[in-house]
Amino acid sequence: MSVVTIVFRKEMTDNLRDRRSILVALIYPLMGPLLLGLLFSFVGSMLKTEHGPGRPIEVAIAHAENAPEFIRFLEAHGVTIRPAPDDPKGAVQRDELPFALVLPERPVATGGAPLEVTVVTDPARLDSIVASGQILDILRNYERETTAARLRAKGLDPDVMTSLRVMHENVGRAANLGFMFLNMIPPFLMFTLFIGGVYLTLDATSGERERGSFEPLMINPVTRSQVLIGKLAAAVVFTLLALAVQVVAFWIMLHSIPREALGIGTLPSVLQLSLLVPVCVPLAVFAVATQLIITAVTRSIKEAQTYLGLLPLVPGMAGMVLVFVPVKVHSLLASIPTFGQTLLMGQMMRSEAVSWSLIGVSVLATLVFTLALLALGFRLYEREGILFPS
Amino acid sequence: MIEARDLYKSFGGVHAVQGVSFIARDGEITGIIGPNGAGKTTILRMIYTVLAPDSGKTLVDGIDVELDRRAAQRRLGVMPDVRGLYPRLSAREHVRYFGELHGLEAHEIERRTAELVDTLAMADFIDRRAKGFSRGQQMKVALARALVHNPHNVILDEPTNGLDVGTSRSVRELLRRFRREGRCVLLSSHIMQEVAALADRIVILSDGRVALQGTPDELRKSTGLDELEDVFMAATMAVTAERAAPAALGAVAG
Repeated sequence: MSVVTIVFRKEMTDNLRDRRSILVALIYPLMGPLLLGLLFSFVGSMLKTEHGPGRPIEVAIAHAENAPEFIRFLEAHGVTIRPAPDDPKGAVQRDELPFALVLPERPVATGGAPLEVTVVTDPARLDSIVASGQILDILRNYERETTAARLRAKGLDPDVMTSLRVMHENVGRAANLGFMFLNMIPPFLMFTLFIGGVYLTLDATSGERERGSFEPLMINPVTRSQVLIGKLAAAVVFTLLALAVQVVAFWIMLHSIPREALGIGTLPSVLQLSLLVPVCVPLAVFAVATQLIITAVTRSIKEAQTYLGLLPLVPGMAGMVLVFVPVKVHSLLASIPTFGQTLLMGQMMRSEAVSWSLIGVSVLATLVFTLALLALGFRLYEREGILFPS
Repeated sequence: MIEARDLYKSFGGVHAVQGVSFIARDGEITGIIGPNGAGKTTILRMIYTVLAPDSGKTLVDGIDVELDRRAAQRRLGVMPDVRGLYPRLSAREHVRYFGELHGLEAHEIERRTAELVDTLAMADFIDRRAKGFSRGQQMKVALARALVHNPHNVILDEPTNGLDVGTSRSVRELLRRFRREGRCVLLSSHIMQEVAALADRIVILSDGRVALQGTPDELRKSTGLDELEDVFMAATMAVTAERAAPAALGAVAG
């Protein structure tokens, strides 16, 4: 058995007995899927039951009695009319209504002046955006049809009044609400990649020093790099274990939420998900290598823990930004470790075609960075003072 | 046999070891004694391969530690001052881990473990996890794993530190057995009685230098003092005085 294998086995045995390591590797990864699952189910059920596309819309209308023809039009288009409270604006503000329509206070003569309709919305509410969007479409239809009827009554072709007809076709994927939801997943995966093996790394390096067991260990006929490689290998295995747990949990979550209501179309297939392996494995090694550097330059478990806790925020934050500001993937971006993977994972989540060459760039670049970090880490661990508890 | 030749070592501006030489022979117990901070642990670390001297060299069975560290490590069994156990591993797993790192076969490790359990009276805790072990038990585990490869040279830093009378006594008996077997035993202590009870040869350190060395009889003769503790006090104070005002008090070479 090689020294690397012996050390690897020892660290696995040792850490599988550590409740903290197990917690971080197996339980923490479930938090993301659980939280997002709850969020998605909540949002999904709200959209589905109240104002989902193709569903009857309920609208609170103030002074509905003043424009009977308009009301009939709405009812004909599947809108259920509710009387609005005395203060419709206040009601929307206080979240009692998602939105409301306000008609003129005096009766409007048919065929006369334009009908003034105020749409009261609260863009901070998702259901308000969705429902008012639907009602705006219906209002535009009303305008078009009424204008056309009036022109025809005067013997004119309705097209006389139409100099421009804007067709709006949304082909952008990231603009879609459903994709915004899916984009929330990669930051969680990124977080897990940086946190999954962290207790093992900490225990096997800073912990080993603090216990005073590093010194007796290194009196054995072994080199420091052999010992470190064994330890890092165990940390990578724990990281990938955590990631696997999380991917499976996300998979289950995505299959049990109201996807249609959220606008999430097809889910990535197992084959597409298998692309996560080349994307994530080099990154797991990269993450563990950065952890190694941190343990090498800090003096105690506590000090190392401080930085290790902040570490996952860096790549996680980049991913969070990408949820709202999607960027196009190209090779320069793909070559940045963590950022590139977040982009590629986003593409996978959205079932977009992922280019092999971009995956290649990401793998290669991450490996180069990782090797540099490992070389630096091993050098730092060659310092003689590092063996002894400080 | 272990040899230190004119060792120097500084940390930052602190001169921890300044020109220390001695030989620990086979079939003998050599004790290094000195007040706290005299450089005992630093010297042992340079011998057992985890610190490199600024100048001078250390030899284990004639092997230059710096030139062939691994060969030296195979011939050394070391119990450092800090025992450094893994709380979640059993005593047996500690011994096995080090046995494997020494390249021993599984059956050989088992045989050696059985022997050590017997020698060190570890039967009642060999399969328990190290968390919560008493100091005596910790010492035994640290010693057992240091001895798993049956090393010819045994180095112990403060072996009886914090142990009860009974356990200290069994350690002393074990070290005498090593002497009978012809091994080289090198230990450090800051308690003169302990070293006096065991050592064939004593190296008295003070401020990183050898103040006196020799057999107990030689030390008594050279100083004209009967009690080794008085010898120790005289020798260490002489070095301190010499440093303050470089005067003459010749140290007797062993």
